[in-house]
Amino acid sequence: MKVLVIDDEEDVRYVARLSLGRVGGMDVVEATNGQEGIARARAERPDFILLDMMMPGMDGAATFRALHADPETADIPVVFLTAKAMASEVQRLKNLGARGVVLKPFDPMTLADEIRAILGG
Amino acid sequence: MHDVSTNEQERLAALARYAILDTSAEDAFDELVQLASTICGAPIALISLVDASRQWFKARIGIAKSETPRQISFCTHAIRQRDLFVVHDARLDPRFADNPLVTGEPHIRFYAGAPLMTPDGHNLGTICVIDRRPRLLADPQRRALTALARQVVVQLELRREIAEKAIAEERLARVVEGSNDGFWDWNIAGGAVQFSERAVAMLGYAPGELEPRVDTWERLVHPDDYPAMMSVLNDHLAGRREQYESEHRRRSKDGAWVWILDRGKVVARDRDGCPRRMAGTYSDVSKRKRAERELDRFFDVSLDLLCIAGMDGRFRRLNPAFHQVLGYTIDELCAVPFIDLVHPDDRAATAAEVAKLRDGETTRYFENRYLRKDGAIRWIAWTASPATDEGLIYAAGRDVTRTKLTEHELRRSEARTRSIIDNAPGGLITTDARGVIESVNPAAERMLGYAAAEMQGGRLDILLNATFDLYTALDRITELPVRRRNGETFTCELSLFEFYAADDQRHFAANLLDVSERHVVERMKRDFISTVSHELRTPLTAIRGSLGLLASGVVGELPAEARPVISVAERNSIRLISLINDILDFDRLESGKMTMQLRPTPLKPVLERSIESISAVALQDGVRIELHCNGASVLGDEERLLQVTVNLLSNAVKYSSRGDTVTVSASVEGESVEVRVADRGRGIPADLQKKLFHRFERADSSDARPKPGTGLGLAICKAIVEQHGGAIGVASREGMGSTFWFRIPAAGAAQ
Repeated sequence: MKVLVIDDEEDVRYVARLSLGRVGGMDVVEATNGQEGIARARAERPDFILLDMMMPGMDGAATFRALHADPETADIPVVFLTAKAMASEVQRLKNLGARGVVLKPFDPMTLADEIRAILGG
Repeated sequence: MHDVSTNEQERLAALARYAILDTSAEDAFDELVQLASTICGAPIALISLVDASRQWFKARIGIAKSETPRQISFCTHAIRQRDLFVVHDARLDPRFADNPLVTGEPHIRFYAGAPLMTPDGHNLGTICVIDRRPRLLADPQRRALTALARQVVVQLELRREIAEKAIAEERLARVVEGSNDGFWDWNIAGGAVQFSERAVAMLGYAPGELEPRVDTWERLVHPDDYPAMMSVLNDHLAGRREQYESEHRRRSKDGAWVWILDRGKVVARDRDGCPRRMAGTYSDVSKRKRAERELDRFFDVSLDLLCIAGMDGRFRRLNPAFHQVLGYTIDELCAVPFIDLVHPDDRAATAAEVAKLRDGETTRYFENRYLRKDGAIRWIAWTASPATDEGLIYAAGRDVTRTKLTEHELRRSEARTRSIIDNAPGGLITTDARGVIESVNPAAERMLGYAAAEMQGGRLDILLNATFDLYTALDRITELPVRRRNGETFTCELSLFEFYAADDQRHFAANLLDVSERHVVERMKRDFISTVSHELRTPLTAIRGSLGLLASGVVGELPAEARPVISVAERNSIRLISLINDILDFDRLESGKMTMQLRPTPLKPVLERSIESISAVALQDGVRIELHCNGASVLGDEERLLQVTVNLLSNAVKYSSRGDTVTVSASVEGESVEVRVADRGRGIPADLQKKLFHRFERADSSDARPKPGTGLGLAICKAIVEQHGGAIGVASREGMGSTFWFRIPAAGAAQ
């Protein structure tokens, strides 16, 4: 299973890579911003994308809309990663069309299971 | 003797005074003409009175006519002289030869007439004798006729005097009747007194009811007045006093006292000068006396100062209030010019006011300060009226010291209140009961951009663009957007309250605060908290993730000694995350941003989920969790209720010992559902139980073994439960465990 992690924070990407790759046994590719993320999504065709919400420049929502608008990437499931834990925020993201939402900070030992549950459900 | 008056008008007036013309015949006059006729041996004798155009006969002998025209009368000639007028033979006298009385009936040849001269010299007519043949009159006859003329005048005088006396008496009687006074006439030696009818009626007696003696009269005098009356009377009788005058009370027939003014004078004395008769009058002065007494009483009871002062600046008469107010005795006050008692600073004004009174001006209102005997200042307000002809000032004064002081206090207090209102940073607008603006303070003017005068008279609700009835906001704080004059809108915090002013009318006061800035600050604060919290999460994600990975050994086995160190770091990073979550929750709850989705929610799944989420920790701590729940449903937000029950459960587990059981139960209580989470821990002291639900209060604040937690959990639970319209609490006894409970409306309950 291949996952694209789009997050501007290198440390978070690092923990996510270990968590999903080493613990979860997934192939992890990364992008540091929205633009790069879209390009990598097209190039890598991941099974899903873990997309950080708060990024400078093109934020998570804009990136998501771009991915969704592009026929080549429109069908790749997106799981948002956000620090905003409010129910209303989660609902807003789900309404955008996200498959699921993972809250920061996440448990590195269960992140992969959590995402599998989201994608499977 | 007088000369004969030549003034015919006066003579006729004198004649009229005797009122004799055209009266009936009288014996006295008839006898006199009889005498004249006999003495003179004449067949005709007359008493003839010469009127303006006739001569009229008061008495006559030998002639039938009672009068004849004046021009042919002999008497007209006779009255022009003072002595006897004699015509011996009329036929030979050119004055009378043609006279019809000579040429015809009664064929007069001889005439002798003596004029009837009054004491003031008027010849009213004559007494005359007439014969039908010429003849002479002897001297004795002449003297007799002249004497008879005097007798006629005496008779006339007598009649006139009698008539005049009668008139005078009648007049007097009328005066007596009209005066309403009583008369008395006292024969001093004999003691008899004649009383007029009115004199006895004054005391309610009928004429004749009182014995007409002086002692009767004296017995009726009031014993208190008797000595003074007698003293005056004796002074008069002894000649030490010109007139007797006494005011005293006398007992009337019905026993009441009548005030009598008794005045009299000795009218006759004997040859030794001893008083023989005394006469006088009684006047009933009860009415005046009563009025005087009433006046005296008012004078005495008045709280106000009443006085009569002379134009010389001294008091003449003062009422007792003066003593009360100024502390001096009345005698002390009368002993000095009153200006001396006035405060030195007010003396000039007082003197000026007195000068105006002297000129006849009335004082409508004048205030000055008097110095009390003890040195204190009394403010007196005066009204006064001068009686310039008496040289007196009548004045009434009121002690207004208290009012003055109150006024002063009031002015100070008013100035203070006004200053507070004017300088208050909040806008203050008052209205009448209908909401019409009455006053506006400067802060409100600045806030709204209108001058007070522009707002007064307008309506408060229109001014504030209120879309609701302002008075539903009474005693509450409301926020509303208000437009300033320049079109800007600001958030106005309005607190409206009612008050009753001195007019007893209901008024409203609106306190306005421009809270725009506060809102901005609050928003900034919330944004700051939320930003900081979110910004914390990103590094914490890295920290927590790294520690988790390290602890799990995924990145390689840790040395045995390093494991607990990493575990401490991981545990505390998790605790830090909880704290951030709680702070965010609490902030959202407080700012009202956390919205509850209240819908009918079966309770059992919520409780099962919360037990499930805590089960790992419970298992690790060796704590068992039991659930007793039937099919109760509540009206609630599932996620928030989960938050509450997880919180309570996690606390219960945290404070339980290994092997303990935590019991979760729910039951319907009336229209509510109560959820209880009971542990068998060491319990919570009573004084801490209430504080537990406040921020950062911990059951173990003073405990030696603090349990991890943020101190916000129960405060969040309380806020959530309250937003459900419910209540939360704890029942606990130290050493016996605690039961946390919350109650929220059941799903079927009325909302």
